Amino acid sequence: MKSRTIRLLVLTCALAGSASLIAGQAARQTGSPAYKPPRTPDGQPDLQGIWQVRNTANWDVLPHGSAYRIPSGLGVVEGDAIPYQPWAAEKQQQNFKNRLTDDPVEKCYSAGAPRTMYLPYPVQILQTPEAVVMVSSYVHTWRWIPTIAVPRYEGYEAWMGDPRGRWDGDTLVVESIGFNGQTWLDHSGNFHSDALKLTERFTRTAPDAIGYEVTIDDAKVFTRPWKMRMPLYLRADMPRILEDECYLDAEEAGRAIRGGHPEDRGGVR
Amino acid sequence: MRRALLLSAAAVMAAALGSGFVAAQAPATSSPAGAGSAAKPPRTSDGKPNLQGYWNNQAGAAPWDIEPHPASFQVPAGDGVIVDPPDHRIPYQPAALERRNELRDKYAFEDPQAHCAPSGVPRQTYTPFGFQIVQPRGSVVILYEAEHVHRVIRTDGSVHVPASVRLWSGDSVGHWEGDTLVVESTNFNGKTWLDMTGNFTTPALRVVERYTLVDADTIQYEATLEDPTIYTRPWKMAFLLRRNLQPGYYLLEFACHEGERDLQHYTDDTGRPKEDRAP
Repeated sequence: MKSRTIRLLVLTCALAGSASLIAGQAARQTGSPAYKPPRTPDGQPDLQGIWQVRNTANWDVLPHGSAYRIPSGLGVVEGDAIPYQPWAAEKQQQNFKNRLTDDPVEKCYSAGAPRTMYLPYPVQILQTPEAVVMVSSYVHTWRWIPTIAVPRYEGYEAWMGDPRGRWDGDTLVVESIGFNGQTWLDHSGNFHSDALKLTERFTRTAPDAIGYEVTIDDAKVFTRPWKMRMPLYLRADMPRILEDECYLDAEEAGRAIRGGHPEDRGGVR
Repeated sequence: MRRALLLSAAAVMAAALGSGFVAAQAPATSSPAGAGSAAKPPRTSDGKPNLQGYWNNQAGAAPWDIEPHPASFQVPAGDGVIVDPPDHRIPYQPAALERRNELRDKYAFEDPQAHCAPSGVPRQTYTPFGFQIVQPRGSVVILYEAEHVHRVIRTDGSVHVPASVRLWSGDSVGHWEGDTLVVESTNFNGKTWLDMTGNFTTPALRVVERYTLVDADTIQYEATLEDPTIYTRPWKMAFLLRRNLQPGYYLLEFACHEGERDLQHYTDDTGRPKEDRAP
């Protein structure tokens, strides 16, 4: 765990160059309004490439100073506050206290959507006329987002939710429901429920940047919908997504994943 | 054979998911690839054979054992998928055969797949779960339901990543030979098995796969495996992939947690806890 966390930090710092500079950028979109994104041969805005954030939203989506194994950052939340219902604000505080054991990513579980998009790991976007595919190096997860009509499986729930995409001008809009309610939005315990209605908007704003906007709508947890915004940057140095196997890597290093298995907590054997 | 339990459970789960979710599905959508019979392979907009859609293997009992084998407890009999050599056996060097037999007889629970590790190439193709082929320009993407693994096969002339990069799923580059997609994979980490019978791999593995549409709904699949450190010669497996024509089908999320340790709580064939660890 420790090595993984350190590795995340190193990776983030290496990419960011300067954490404070990047955190500052996270609140803004890059590129000029006049920019017209390239098109695929099939005529869609071309979002293809390997992308990665350069911010600390994975640790805390809100503005925050540094804490134990949490690098500081200016946050990505519109208005710098999350409109929790009172019980949920308390729950978030509990989550924060228990983050080293309860954060699903500390157990190497799927980060789900939207957190997979702002992990300190790259995400590759690929497109066909019928679908957008996003693959992450973090525990080799993928998202298949049809942009044609595909009826949903009723009652289906998943870590990633069940996404459907559409093109709105130069923007890919992805709407997801069907979450299992087990994922967190960040390491600081910001969370949502299985009632989450997630809307993500991807707009290429420069040759090497995508403006990424997230709307979180979850009437069980929040008093109103709220938004996050951040740029995704092109990883022009990567010919492909590699693997980051998390649990297997930790196991190989002889390290137990905190909270990941009952045995690790002295429980069932 | 306890080693069959996980797969049996998986198969039951798949069947349950199938009946549960499919029954509740809304009406069908048209398949992007245009399902149905066709004299010539359908093409993508850049003129390549269109392999897109959902596929299931017809590899029989290969998930348990890719060699010919009789039925045993929880293991269905199968005639294997090895088409070369003619005896349908993996052409192991003597020491490697000994190692395989030891893994099979004593350490079957060490099968990485049972611990939710990526199955690797070519095993990912013959899990009892479906997979989806997507063809953006410049690559062929395969999304697998089992272990939610993905492969982005670069078909843009890319070379392999540096040899020191070792991966569960290896590094795959592809090209088209006529209407056949040829995929060459290297950079394996040598930790994957080819089935539940101890047929192991090493980092020296090189796999060449061939995907050929023989009709609109059928792919002839071949994989040639080379590894001079454990085999006496290259060998080949082959089976058909059939298009999943179930209306409205799409892949579900498979949340197997890497490092799954439930198997340690199982007992061996004599009823004792399974504590052995492979050397």
